[in-house]
Amino acid sequence: MHDVLILGIETSCDETAAAVVKNGREILSDVVNSQIDIHSQFGGVVPEVASRKHIENIGLVVDTAFENAGLSYNDIDAVAVTNRPGLIGALLVGLSFAKAFAYALNRPLLAVNHLEGHIYANFLEHSAIELPALCLVVSGGHTSLVYMPSIGEYELVGETRDDAAGEAFDKVARFLGLGYPGGPAIQKAAQKGEPGKVILPRVFLDRNDFEFSFSGLKTAAMNEWNKLKRKGLANVNDLAAEFQAALVEVLVEKTMHAAEQFKARSILLAGGVAANQELRNLMKKRGREQGLPVYYPSLHLCTDNAAMIAGNAHINYIKNIYAPLNVNAYPGLIVPVKSTCG
Amino acid sequence: MLILAIDSATPVAGVALMDDGRLIKEEFSNYKKTHSETLMLMVDRVLNESERTLDQVDALAVTTGPGSFTGLRIGLAAVKGLSMAAGIPVAGVSTLDTLAHNIWAGDALVCPLLDARKQEVYCGFYDVAGKLPLPLLEARACAPEEFLADAVEVAAKYGKNRIILLGDGYYPYTEFFAEKLGQQLLIPPPHLMLPRASALGDLGADKLAKGQVEDIMQLRPSYIRLSEAEYRLGKGEL
Ligand SMILES: [Zn+2]
Repeated sequence: MHDVLILGIETSCDETAAAVVKNGREILSDVVNSQIDIHSQFGGVVPEVASRKHIENIGLVVDTAFENAGLSYNDIDAVAVTNRPGLIGALLVGLSFAKAFAYALNRPLLAVNHLEGHIYANFLEHSAIELPALCLVVSGGHTSLVYMPSIGEYELVGETRDDAAGEAFDKVARFLGLGYPGGPAIQKAAQKGEPGKVILPRVFLDRNDFEFSFSGLKTAAMNEWNKLKRKGLANVNDLAAEFQAALVEVLVEKTMHAAEQFKARSILLAGGVAANQELRNLMKKRGREQGLPVYYPSLHLCTDNAAMIAGNAHINYIKNIYAPLNVNAYPGLIVPVKSTCG
Repeated sequence: MLILAIDSATPVAGVALMDDGRLIKEEFSNYKKTHSETLMLMVDRVLNESERTLDQVDALAVTTGPGSFTGLRIGLAAVKGLSMAAGIPVAGVSTLDTLAHNIWAGDALVCPLLDARKQEVYCGFYDVAGKLPLPLLEARACAPEEFLADAVEVAAKYGKNRIILLGDGYYPYTEFFAEKLGQQLLIPPPHLMLPRASALGDLGADKLAKGQVEDIMQLRPSYIRLSEAEYRLGKGEL
Protein backbone atom coordinates (compact mmCIF):
# COMPACT_ATOMS: atom_id res chain seq x y z
CA MET A 1 0.00 0.00 0.00
CA HIS A 2 1.30 3.43 -0.87
CA ASP A 3 2.05 6.10 1.72
CA VAL A 4 -0.83 8.37 2.67
CA LEU A 5 0.07 12.07 2.80
CA ILE A 6 -2.45 14.35 4.45
CA LEU A 7 -2.37 18.14 4.55
CA GLY A 8 -3.78 19.47 7.83
CA ILE A 9 -5.12 22.99 8.34
CA GLU A 10 -5.93 24.51 11.71
CA THR A 11 -7.41 27.98 12.38
CA SER A 12 -9.71 27.42 15.36
CA CYS A 13 -8.20 30.06 17.62
CA ASP A 14 -5.16 32.31 17.29
CA GLU A 15 -2.67 30.11 15.43
CA THR A 16 -2.75 29.77 11.65
CA ALA A 17 -1.25 26.33 11.09
CA ALA A 18 -0.63 23.82 8.31
CA ALA A 19 1.24 20.52 8.29
CA VAL A 20 1.81 17.45 6.20
CA VAL A 21 1.71 14.09 7.98
CA LYS A 22 2.56 10.71 6.47
CA ASN A 23 0.47 7.65 7.36
CA GLY A 24 -0.94 9.37 10.42
CA ARG A 25 2.41 9.09 12.15
CA GLU A 26 5.30 10.88 10.56
CA ILE A 27 5.35 14.69 10.57
CA LEU A 28 6.87 15.91 7.29
CA SER A 29 6.24 19.57 8.03
CA ASP A 30 4.56 21.55 10.76
CA VAL A 31 4.09 25.29 10.30
CA VAL A 32 2.50 27.45 12.99
CA ASN A 33 2.02 31.17 12.61
CA SER A 34 1.23 32.40 16.10
CA GLN A 35 -0.68 35.63 16.66
CA ILE A 36 0.20 35.74 20.33
CA ASP A 37 2.00 39.10 20.10
CA ILE A 38 -0.96 40.71 18.41
CA HIS A 39 -3.49 39.45 20.94
CA SER A 40 -1.33 40.16 23.96
CA GLN A 41 -1.97 43.89 23.51
CA PHE A 42 -5.67 43.15 24.01
CA GLY A 43 -5.01 40.86 27.00
CA GLY A 44 -6.57 37.85 25.27
CA VAL A 45 -7.66 36.48 21.94
CA VAL A 46 -9.95 38.86 20.04
CA PRO A 47 -12.02 36.76 17.61
CA GLU A 48 -12.33 39.35 14.83
CA VAL A 49 -8.62 40.18 14.99
CA ALA A 50 -7.77 36.45 14.88
CA SER A 51 -9.97 35.93 11.81
CA ARG A 52 -8.35 38.87 10.04
CA LYS A 53 -4.90 37.44 10.66
CA HIS A 54 -5.96 33.98 9.48
CA ILE A 55 -7.12 35.20 6.07
CA GLU A 56 -3.86 37.14 5.62
CA ASN A 57 -1.67 34.21 6.64
CA ILE A 58 -3.43 31.09 5.38
CA GLY A 59 -1.94 30.98 1.89
CA LEU A 60 1.65 31.43 2.95
CA VAL A 61 1.35 29.02 5.88
CA VAL A 62 -0.04 26.26 3.64
CA ASP A 63 2.53 26.94 0.96
CA THR A 64 5.35 26.80 3.51
CA ALA A 65 4.07 23.47 4.83
CA PHE A 66 4.50 22.01 1.34
CA GLU A 67 7.87 23.64 0.86
CA ASN A 68 9.19 22.35 4.20
CA ALA A 69 7.97 18.86 3.38
CA GLY A 70 9.58 19.04 -0.05
CA LEU A 71 6.27 18.29 -1.72
CA SER A 72 4.11 19.84 -4.38
CA TYR A 73 0.36 20.31 -3.89
CA ASN A 74 -0.50 17.35 -6.07
CA ASP A 75 1.50 14.93 -3.92
CA ILE A 76 -1.04 14.92 -1.10
CA ASP A 77 -3.87 12.39 -0.83
CA ALA A 78 -6.33 14.40 1.24
CA VAL A 79 -6.97 17.73 2.96
CA ALA A 80 -7.91 17.76 6.64
CA VAL A 81 -9.26 20.78 8.50
CA THR A 82 -10.51 21.63 11.97
CA ASN A 83 -14.22 22.43 11.80
CA ARG A 84 -15.07 22.46 15.54
CA PRO A 85 -14.91 23.55 18.28
CA GLY A 86 -13.42 27.03 18.24
CA LEU A 87 -14.02 30.64 17.26
CA ILE A 88 -16.55 30.41 14.45
CA GLY A 89 -15.13 33.21 12.30
CA ALA A 90 -11.63 31.81 12.67
CA LEU A 91 -12.72 28.23 11.87
CA LEU A 92 -14.50 29.43 8.73
CA VAL A 93 -11.29 30.77 7.21
CA GLY A 94 -9.48 27.44 7.45
CA LEU A 95 -12.57 25.46 6.45
CA SER A 96 -13.37 27.61 3.40
CA PHE A 97 -9.77 27.48 2.24
CA ALA A 98 -9.49 23.72 2.81
CA LYS A 99 -12.70 22.98 0.92
CA ALA A 100 -11.61 24.95 -2.11
CA PHE A 101 -8.06 23.58 -2.02
CA ALA A 102 -9.31 19.98 -1.81
CA TYR A 103 -11.89 20.64 -4.51
CA ALA A 104 -9.32 22.12 -6.89
CA LEU A 105 -6.94 19.20 -6.33
CA ASN A 106 -9.81 16.72 -6.55
CA ARG A 107 -8.87 15.21 -3.19
CA PRO A 108 -11.13 14.16 -0.32
CA LEU A 109 -11.83 16.61 2.49
CA LEU A 110 -11.69 15.46 6.12
CA ALA A 111 -13.28 17.44 8.96
CA VAL A 112 -11.51 17.11 12.29
CA ASN A 113 -12.63 17.83 15.83
CA HIS A 114 -9.97 20.02 17.41
CA LEU A 115 -10.12 18.20 20.75
CA GLU A 116 -9.59 14.84 19.09
CA GLY A 117 -6.64 16.42 17.33
CA HIS A 118 -5.11 17.46 20.65
CA ILE A 119 -5.51 13.92 21.98
CA TYR A 120 -4.05 12.50 18.78
CA ALA A 121 -0.87 14.56 19.26
CA ASN A 122 0.13 11.83 21.73
CA PHE A 123 -0.05 9.18 19.00
CA LEU A 124 2.30 11.19 16.79
CA GLU A 125 5.06 10.75 19.34
CA HIS A 126 4.28 7.61 21.33
CA SER A 127 3.89 4.37 19.45
CA ALA A 128 2.63 1.96 22.11
CA ILE A 129 -0.18 3.68 23.98
CA GLU A 130 -2.32 1.18 25.89
CA LEU A 131 -6.06 1.53 25.29
CA PRO A 132 -8.55 2.25 26.66
CA ALA A 133 -7.14 5.61 27.69
CA LEU A 134 -8.45 8.44 29.78
CA CYS A 135 -7.55 11.81 28.27
CA LEU A 136 -7.40 15.19 29.95
CA VAL A 137 -7.66 17.96 27.36
CA VAL A 138 -6.70 21.27 28.96
CA SER A 139 -6.22 24.56 27.14
CA GLY A 140 -7.38 28.15 27.05
CA GLY A 141 -10.66 26.98 25.56
CA HIS A 142 -11.20 23.56 27.08
CA THR A 143 -11.01 21.46 30.19
CA SER A 144 -12.46 18.09 29.25
CA LEU A 145 -12.08 14.51 30.34
CA VAL A 146 -12.46 12.17 27.40
CA TYR A 147 -12.66 8.39 27.52
CA MET A 148 -11.03 6.71 24.53
CA PRO A 149 -11.92 3.00 24.29
CA SER A 150 -10.12 2.53 20.98
CA ILE A 151 -8.43 4.65 18.33
CA GLY A 152 -10.87 7.12 16.80
CA GLU A 153 -13.53 6.57 19.47
CA TYR A 154 -14.14 9.28 22.02
CA GLU A 155 -16.62 9.75 24.81
CA LEU A 156 -16.82 13.02 26.72
CA VAL A 157 -17.08 12.18 30.43
CA GLY A 158 -16.71 15.62 32.01
CA GLU A 159 -16.05 19.27 31.30
CA THR A 160 -15.58 22.55 33.09
CA ARG A 161 -18.75 24.29 34.17
CA ASP A 162 -17.21 27.72 33.84
CA ASP A 163 -13.66 28.81 32.98
CA ALA A 164 -11.29 26.54 31.11
CA ALA A 165 -8.06 25.89 33.01
CA GLY A 166 -6.00 27.98 30.58
CA GLU A 167 -8.55 30.75 30.79
CA ALA A 168 -8.23 30.77 34.60
CA PHE A 169 -4.45 30.97 34.20
CA ASP A 170 -4.85 33.92 31.81
CA LYS A 171 -7.27 35.84 34.00
CA VAL A 172 -5.31 35.38 37.20
CA ALA A 173 -2.00 36.19 35.51
CA ARG A 174 -3.51 39.35 34.13
CA PHE A 175 -4.89 40.28 37.54
CA LEU A 176 -1.51 39.69 39.16
CA GLY A 177 0.19 41.72 36.43
CA LEU A 178 2.22 38.74 35.24
CA GLY A 179 1.39 39.12 31.56
CA TYR A 180 -0.12 37.07 28.74
CA PRO A 181 -0.37 34.18 28.05
CA GLY A 182 -1.05 33.30 31.64
CA GLY A 183 0.04 29.66 31.81
CA PRO A 184 3.76 30.17 31.16
CA ALA A 185 3.71 33.45 33.15
CA ILE A 186 2.28 31.79 36.26
CA GLN A 187 4.54 28.76 35.91
CA LYS A 188 7.57 31.06 35.80
CA ALA A 189 6.49 33.04 38.87
CA ALA A 190 5.54 29.84 40.71
CA GLN A 191 9.07 28.51 40.33
CA LYS A 192 10.28 31.41 42.47
CA GLY A 193 7.53 30.99 45.06
CA GLU A 194 6.24 28.37 47.41
CA PRO A 195 2.78 26.83 47.52
CA GLY A 196 1.04 26.60 50.90
CA LYS A 197 2.14 30.00 52.18
CA VAL A 198 -1.23 31.25 51.07
CA ILE A 199 -4.10 28.77 51.07
CA LEU A 200 -6.47 28.56 48.11
CA PRO A 201 -9.38 26.12 47.82
CA ARG A 202 -9.31 22.90 45.81
CA VAL A 203 -12.68 22.81 44.11
CA PHE A 204 -13.63 19.22 43.48
CA LEU A 205 -17.39 19.80 43.25
CA ASP A 206 -19.04 16.40 43.62
CA ARG A 207 -16.28 13.86 44.09
CA ASN A 208 -18.23 11.37 42.02
CA ASP A 209 -18.65 13.33 38.84
CA PHE A 210 -16.08 14.60 36.42
CA GLU A 211 -17.03 18.23 36.12
CA PHE A 212 -14.59 21.02 36.85
CA SER A 213 -15.06 24.55 38.11
CA PHE A 214 -12.28 27.10 38.20
CA SER A 215 -14.09 30.42 38.58
CA GLY A 216 -14.21 29.97 42.38
CA LEU A 217 -10.48 29.35 42.55
CA LYS A 218 -9.88 32.33 40.30
CA THR A 219 -11.99 34.61 42.50
CA ALA A 220 -10.35 33.27 45.66
CA ALA A 221 -6.91 34.02 44.21
CA MET A 222 -7.95 37.57 43.33
CA ASN A 223 -9.48 38.18 46.78
CA GLU A 224 -6.44 36.76 48.51
CA TRP A 225 -4.19 39.02 46.45
CA ASN A 226 -6.17 42.13 47.41
CA LYS A 227 -6.09 41.10 51.09
CA LEU A 228 -2.35 40.49 51.04
CA LYS A 229 -1.69 43.78 49.33
CA ARG A 230 -3.66 45.65 52.01
CA LYS A 231 -1.55 43.97 54.67
CA GLY A 232 1.61 44.77 52.74
CA LEU A 233 2.45 41.06 52.58
CA ALA A 234 1.93 40.52 48.90
CA ASN A 235 4.33 38.03 47.33
CA VAL A 236 3.16 37.37 43.81
CA ASN A 237 5.36 34.29 43.41
CA ASP A 238 3.89 32.51 46.43
CA LEU A 239 0.38 33.24 45.27
CA ALA A 240 1.19 32.04 41.75
CA ALA A 241 2.65 28.84 43.20
CA GLU A 242 -0.40 28.16 45.32
CA PHE A 243 -2.79 28.95 42.48
CA GLN A 244 -0.95 26.59 40.16
CA ALA A 245 -0.78 23.88 42.82
CA ALA A 246 -4.52 24.12 43.55
CA LEU A 247 -5.47 24.01 39.90
CA VAL A 248 -3.12 21.17 39.05
CA GLU A 249 -4.19 19.09 42.04
CA VAL A 250 -7.83 19.24 40.98
CA LEU A 251 -6.97 18.34 37.38
CA VAL A 252 -4.84 15.39 38.46
CA GLU A 253 -7.18 13.96 41.08
CA LYS A 254 -10.23 14.17 38.83
CA THR A 255 -8.30 12.51 36.02
CA MET A 256 -7.02 9.71 38.25
CA HIS A 257 -10.50 9.16 39.60
CA ALA A 258 -11.98 8.96 36.11
CA ALA A 259 -9.20 6.63 34.95
CA GLU A 260 -10.03 4.29 37.83
CA GLN A 261 -13.78 4.42 37.19
CA PHE A 262 -13.39 3.75 33.46
CA LYS A 263 -10.70 1.11 33.98
CA ALA A 264 -8.32 2.97 31.68
CA ARG A 265 -4.95 1.45 30.96
CA SER A 266 -3.21 4.77 30.34
CA ILE A 267 -3.62 8.49 30.83
CA LEU A 268 -3.11 11.03 28.06
CA LEU A 269 -2.56 14.75 28.56
CA ALA A 270 -3.35 17.12 25.72
CA GLY A 271 -3.78 20.82 24.98
CA GLY A 272 -1.81 23.96 25.78
CA VAL A 273 -2.00 23.54 29.57
CA ALA A 274 -0.49 20.06 29.18
CA ALA A 275 2.74 21.99 28.67
CA ASN A 276 2.62 22.93 32.36
CA GLN A 277 5.52 21.25 34.14
CA GLU A 278 3.75 20.95 37.48
CA LEU A 279 0.80 19.20 35.82
CA ARG A 280 3.10 16.80 33.97
CA ASN A 281 5.09 15.98 37.10
CA LEU A 282 2.18 15.43 39.44
CA MET A 283 0.26 13.36 36.89
CA LYS A 284 3.34 11.17 36.31
CA LYS A 285 3.82 10.72 40.04
CA ARG A 286 0.18 9.79 40.68
CA GLY A 287 0.21 7.56 37.61
CA ARG A 288 3.19 5.67 38.95
CA GLU A 289 1.42 5.18 42.26
CA GLN A 290 -1.61 3.74 40.45
CA GLY A 291 0.42 1.74 37.96
CA LEU A 292 -0.88 3.79 35.03
CA PRO A 293 1.43 5.06 32.29
CA VAL A 294 1.03 8.80 31.63
CA TYR A 295 1.70 10.26 28.20
CA TYR A 296 1.90 13.83 26.99
CA PRO A 297 3.07 15.42 23.75
CA SER A 298 6.28 17.43 23.51
CA LEU A 299 5.80 21.11 24.29
CA HIS A 300 5.35 22.17 20.69
CA LEU A 301 2.61 19.60 20.01
CA CYS A 302 0.68 20.60 23.16
CA THR A 303 -0.23 23.97 21.71
CA ASP A 304 -2.41 24.35 18.62
CA ASN A 305 -0.84 22.90 15.48
CA ALA A 306 -1.97 21.25 12.28
CA ALA A 307 0.11 18.08 12.54
CA MET A 308 -2.34 16.76 15.12
CA ILE A 309 -5.21 17.57 12.73
CA ALA A 310 -3.57 15.83 9.76
CA GLY A 311 -2.66 12.89 12.01
CA ASN A 312 -6.14 12.46 13.43
CA ALA A 313 -7.67 12.72 9.95
CA HIS A 314 -5.83 9.58 8.92
CA ILE A 315 -8.25 7.54 11.05
CA ASN A 316 -11.21 8.63 8.94
CA TYR A 317 -9.24 8.64 5.72
CA ILE A 318 -8.59 4.90 5.85
CA LYS A 319 -12.26 4.34 6.67
CA ASN A 320 -13.27 6.52 3.67
CA ILE A 321 -15.25 8.83 5.91
CA TYR A 322 -15.02 12.10 4.01
CA ALA A 323 -16.67 15.46 4.63
CA PRO A 324 -19.14 16.75 2.02
CA LEU A 325 -18.59 20.07 0.24
CA ASN A 326 -21.28 21.70 2.36
CA VAL A 327 -19.74 20.75 5.71
CA ASN A 328 -19.93 23.66 8.13
CA ALA A 329 -17.94 24.92 11.12
CA TYR A 330 -19.32 24.91 14.65
CA PRO A 331 -18.22 26.79 17.76
CA GLY A 332 -19.17 23.90 20.07
CA LEU A 333 -18.19 20.29 20.40
CA ILE A 334 -21.43 18.86 19.15
CA VAL A 335 -22.49 19.16 15.52
CA PRO A 336 -26.18 20.04 15.31
CA VAL A 337 -28.00 17.17 13.57
CA LYS A 338 -30.00 19.40 11.22
CA SER A 339 -26.95 20.94 9.55
CA THR A 340 -25.16 17.73 8.73
CA CYS A 341 -27.73 16.42 6.26
CA GLY A 342 -28.09 17.29 2.62
CA MET B 1 -11.01 33.43 -21.63
CA LEU B 2 -13.04 31.63 -18.98
CA ILE B 3 -13.67 33.57 -15.77
CA LEU B 4 -15.27 32.16 -12.63
CA ALA B 5 -16.69 34.91 -10.42
CA ILE B 6 -17.37 34.27 -6.73
CA ASP B 7 -19.22 36.66 -4.43
CA SER B 8 -20.13 36.13 -0.78
CA ALA B 9 -19.57 39.65 0.51
CA THR B 10 -23.15 40.28 1.66
CA PRO B 11 -26.14 38.05 2.52
CA VAL B 12 -26.13 37.22 -1.21
CA ALA B 13 -23.99 34.37 -2.49
CA GLY B 14 -23.31 34.32 -6.22
CA VAL B 15 -21.22 32.39 -8.69
CA ALA B 16 -20.98 33.07 -12.42
CA LEU B 17 -19.04 31.65 -15.32
CA MET B 18 -18.20 33.97 -18.21
CA ASP B 19 -16.53 33.08 -21.46
CA ASP B 20 -14.96 36.01 -23.32
CA GLY B 21 -17.54 38.42 -21.98
CA ARG B 22 -20.44 36.05 -22.57
CA LEU B 23 -22.36 34.92 -19.48
CA ILE B 24 -22.69 31.13 -19.52
CA LYS B 25 -24.22 30.39 -16.16
CA GLU B 26 -24.99 32.27 -13.00
CA GLU B 27 -26.27 31.22 -9.59
CA PHE B 28 -27.70 33.76 -7.20
CA SER B 29 -28.88 33.03 -3.70
CA ASN B 30 -30.32 35.43 -1.18
CA TYR B 31 -31.61 32.87 1.25
CA LYS B 32 -30.62 32.43 4.88
CA LYS B 33 -28.10 29.66 4.50
CA THR B 34 -24.54 30.21 5.47
CA HIS B 35 -22.12 30.86 2.64
CA SER B 36 -19.76 28.32 4.12
CA GLU B 37 -22.32 25.61 3.35
CA THR B 38 -23.47 26.82 -0.06
CA LEU B 39 -20.62 28.56 -1.83
CA MET B 40 -18.51 25.60 -2.95
CA LEU B 41 -21.63 23.66 -3.94
CA MET B 42 -22.57 26.59 -6.16
CA VAL B 43 -19.10 26.62 -7.70
CA ASP B 44 -19.38 22.91 -8.36
CA ARG B 45 -22.84 23.22 -9.93
CA VAL B 46 -21.91 26.17 -12.12
CA LEU B 47 -18.90 24.32 -13.52
CA ASN B 48 -20.67 20.97 -13.86
CA GLU B 49 -23.77 22.33 -15.54
CA SER B 50 -21.60 24.34 -17.91
CA GLU B 51 -19.66 21.16 -18.68
CA ARG B 52 -16.42 22.79 -17.63
CA THR B 53 -13.83 21.88 -15.05
CA LEU B 54 -11.75 24.14 -12.88
CA ASP B 55 -8.70 23.24 -14.98
CA GLN B 56 -10.31 25.05 -17.91
CA VAL B 57 -10.91 28.25 -15.94
CA ASP B 58 -8.41 30.97 -16.82
CA ALA B 59 -9.04 33.35 -13.93
CA LEU B 60 -11.11 33.97 -10.84
CA ALA B 61 -12.86 37.15 -9.76
CA VAL B 62 -13.89 37.87 -6.19
CA THR B 63 -15.55 40.69 -4.27
CA THR B 64 -13.00 41.99 -1.77
CA GLY B 65 -15.23 44.30 0.23
CA PRO B 66 -16.75 46.08 1.88
CA GLY B 67 -19.33 43.71 3.28
CA SER B 68 -19.88 41.23 6.06
CA PHE B 69 -16.48 40.48 7.61
CA THR B 70 -17.13 36.75 7.79
CA GLY B 71 -18.74 36.62 4.35
CA LEU B 72 -15.76 38.36 2.78
CA ARG B 73 -13.35 35.94 4.40
CA ILE B 74 -15.33 32.90 3.26
CA GLY B 75 -15.15 34.15 -0.32
CA LEU B 76 -11.49 35.13 -0.17
CA ALA B 77 -10.44 31.91 1.57
CA ALA B 78 -12.26 29.89 -1.10
CA VAL B 79 -10.67 31.90 -3.89
CA LYS B 80 -7.22 31.56 -2.32
CA GLY B 81 -7.65 27.80 -2.07
CA LEU B 82 -8.87 27.50 -5.67
CA SER B 83 -6.24 29.85 -7.05
CA MET B 84 -3.30 28.22 -5.30
CA ALA B 85 -4.30 24.64 -6.04
CA ALA B 86 -5.34 25.25 -9.64
CA GLY B 87 -2.65 27.84 -10.34
CA ILE B 88 -4.98 30.49 -11.73
CA PRO B 89 -4.85 34.27 -11.23
CA VAL B 90 -7.38 36.30 -9.24
CA ALA B 91 -8.92 39.68 -9.88
CA GLY B 92 -10.23 41.41 -6.76
CA VAL B 93 -13.19 43.77 -7.23
CA SER B 94 -14.89 46.16 -4.82
CA THR B 95 -18.34 45.06 -3.70
CA LEU B 96 -19.60 48.59 -4.30
CA ASP B 97 -18.18 48.66 -7.86
CA THR B 98 -19.92 45.35 -8.46
CA LEU B 99 -23.26 46.72 -7.28
CA ALA B 100 -22.86 49.95 -9.26
CA HIS B 101 -22.30 47.86 -12.38
CA ASN B 102 -25.95 46.72 -12.19
CA ILE B 103 -26.87 50.12 -13.62
CA TRP B 104 -25.48 51.14 -16.96
CA ALA B 105 -25.43 54.05 -19.38
CA GLY B 106 -27.56 56.44 -17.38
CA ASP B 107 -26.86 59.97 -16.28
CA ALA B 108 -28.01 59.48 -12.68
CA LEU B 109 -25.66 59.32 -9.71
CA VAL B 110 -25.52 55.66 -8.67
CA CYS B 111 -25.00 54.98 -4.97
CA PRO B 112 -24.67 51.39 -3.80
CA LEU B 113 -25.37 50.93 -0.10
CA LEU B 114 -24.49 47.98 2.08
CA ASP B 115 -25.85 47.41 5.54
CA ALA B 116 -22.91 48.13 7.84
CA ARG B 117 -24.95 47.62 11.06
CA LYS B 118 -24.59 50.03 13.98
CA GLN B 119 -26.97 52.41 12.13
CA GLU B 120 -24.46 52.87 9.32
CA VAL B 121 -24.06 52.05 5.65
CA TYR B 122 -21.08 51.33 3.45
CA CYS B 123 -21.60 53.67 0.52
CA GLY B 124 -20.11 54.52 -2.85
CA PHE B 125 -20.80 57.27 -5.43
CA TYR B 126 -20.62 56.42 -9.13
CA ASP B 127 -20.98 57.82 -12.58
CA VAL B 128 -22.23 55.01 -14.84
CA ALA B 129 -22.40 56.85 -18.15
CA GLY B 130 -19.45 54.91 -19.54
CA LYS B 131 -18.85 51.22 -20.02
CA LEU B 132 -17.62 50.76 -16.46
CA PRO B 133 -18.75 52.43 -13.22
CA LEU B 134 -16.56 55.38 -12.31
CA PRO B 135 -16.22 56.22 -8.62
CA LEU B 136 -16.64 59.92 -7.89
CA LEU B 137 -15.85 59.80 -4.18
CA GLU B 138 -14.11 57.36 -1.91
CA ALA B 139 -16.20 54.58 -0.41
CA ARG B 140 -16.78 54.72 3.34
CA ALA B 141 -18.90 53.69 6.29
CA CYS B 142 -21.15 56.36 7.77
CA ALA B 143 -24.63 57.20 9.05
CA PRO B 144 -27.32 57.39 6.32
CA GLU B 145 -27.78 61.12 7.04
CA GLU B 146 -24.10 61.74 6.36
CA PHE B 147 -24.20 59.65 3.22
CA LEU B 148 -27.23 61.55 1.97
CA ALA B 149 -25.58 64.93 2.42
CA ASP B 150 -22.59 63.75 0.38
CA ALA B 151 -24.78 62.19 -2.30
CA VAL B 152 -26.74 65.40 -2.79
CA GLU B 153 -23.53 67.40 -2.99
CA VAL B 154 -21.85 65.04 -5.45
CA ALA B 155 -25.01 64.94 -7.59
CA ALA B 156 -25.06 68.75 -7.73
CA LYS B 157 -21.36 68.98 -8.49
CA TYR B 158 -21.58 66.55 -11.43
CA GLY B 159 -24.90 67.88 -12.69
CA LYS B 160 -26.89 64.71 -12.00
CA ASN B 161 -30.61 65.20 -11.51
CA ARG B 162 -31.41 61.76 -10.24
CA ILE B 163 -29.88 59.58 -7.54
CA ILE B 164 -30.20 55.81 -7.81
CA LEU B 165 -29.87 53.84 -4.56
CA LEU B 166 -29.37 50.10 -4.53
CA GLY B 167 -28.03 47.34 -2.30
CA ASP B 168 -29.26 45.86 0.98
CA GLY B 169 -28.19 48.99 2.85
CA TYR B 170 -31.13 50.82 1.28
CA TYR B 171 -33.89 48.71 2.82
CA PRO B 172 -33.63 49.75 6.50
CA TYR B 173 -33.97 53.42 5.49
CA THR B 174 -36.51 53.38 2.64
CA GLU B 175 -38.81 55.94 4.24
CA PHE B 176 -35.99 58.24 5.24
CA PHE B 177 -34.56 58.34 1.71
CA ALA B 178 -38.00 58.72 0.10
CA GLU B 179 -38.77 61.66 2.31
CA LYS B 180 -35.43 63.40 1.85
CA LEU B 181 -34.90 62.84 -1.88
CA GLY B 182 -38.47 62.88 -3.16
CA GLN B 183 -38.56 63.05 -6.97
CA GLN B 184 -34.77 62.89 -7.17
CA LEU B 185 -34.74 59.27 -5.92
CA LEU B 186 -34.82 56.26 -8.22
CA ILE B 187 -34.92 52.67 -6.97
CA PRO B 188 -34.14 49.84 -9.40
CA PRO B 189 -36.38 46.79 -9.84
CA PRO B 190 -35.56 43.75 -7.64
CA HIS B 191 -33.35 41.99 -10.19
CA LEU B 192 -30.95 44.93 -10.15
CA MET B 193 -30.96 45.63 -6.41
CA LEU B 194 -28.35 43.16 -5.14
CA PRO B 195 -24.82 42.17 -6.18
CA ARG B 196 -24.57 39.84 -9.19
CA ALA B 197 -21.65 37.56 -9.77
CA SER B 198 -21.96 38.28 -13.49
CA ALA B 199 -21.32 41.98 -12.86
CA LEU B 200 -18.34 40.95 -10.75
CA GLY B 201 -17.07 38.71 -13.54
CA ASP B 202 -17.31 41.55 -16.07
CA LEU B 203 -15.36 43.95 -13.85
CA GLY B 204 -12.87 41.18 -13.11
CA ALA B 205 -12.33 40.64 -16.84
CA ASP B 206 -11.57 44.32 -17.23
CA LYS B 207 -9.00 44.22 -14.42
CA LEU B 208 -7.38 41.11 -15.86
CA ALA B 209 -7.18 42.74 -19.28
CA LYS B 210 -5.34 45.63 -17.63
CA GLY B 211 -3.01 43.18 -15.89
CA GLN B 212 -4.42 44.02 -12.46
CA VAL B 213 -3.97 40.67 -10.78
CA GLU B 214 -3.92 40.12 -7.00
CA ASP B 215 -0.98 38.72 -5.08
CA ILE B 216 -2.88 35.73 -3.75
CA MET B 217 -0.67 35.33 -0.68
CA GLN B 218 -1.19 38.95 0.35
CA LEU B 219 -4.84 39.29 -0.64
CA ARG B 220 -7.09 40.40 2.21
CA PRO B 221 -10.54 41.95 2.44
CA SER B 222 -11.07 45.71 2.27
CA TYR B 223 -13.08 45.97 5.46
CA ILE B 224 -13.13 49.80 5.51
CA ARG B 225 -13.71 49.50 9.24
CA LEU B 226 -11.26 48.47 11.93
CA SER B 227 -12.30 45.64 14.20
CA GLU B 228 -14.03 46.84 17.37
CA ALA B 229 -11.04 45.86 19.51
CA GLU B 230 -8.54 47.69 17.28
CA TYR B 231 -10.80 50.73 17.25
CA ARG B 232 -10.98 50.81 21.03
CA LEU B 233 -7.25 50.19 21.37
CA GLY B 234 -6.64 53.13 19.04
CA LYS B 235 -8.84 55.34 21.20
CA GLY B 236 -6.95 54.24 24.29
CA GLU B 237 -9.96 52.44 25.74
CA LEU B 238 -8.14 49.15 26.18
ZN1 LIG C 1 -6.37 23.84 21.10
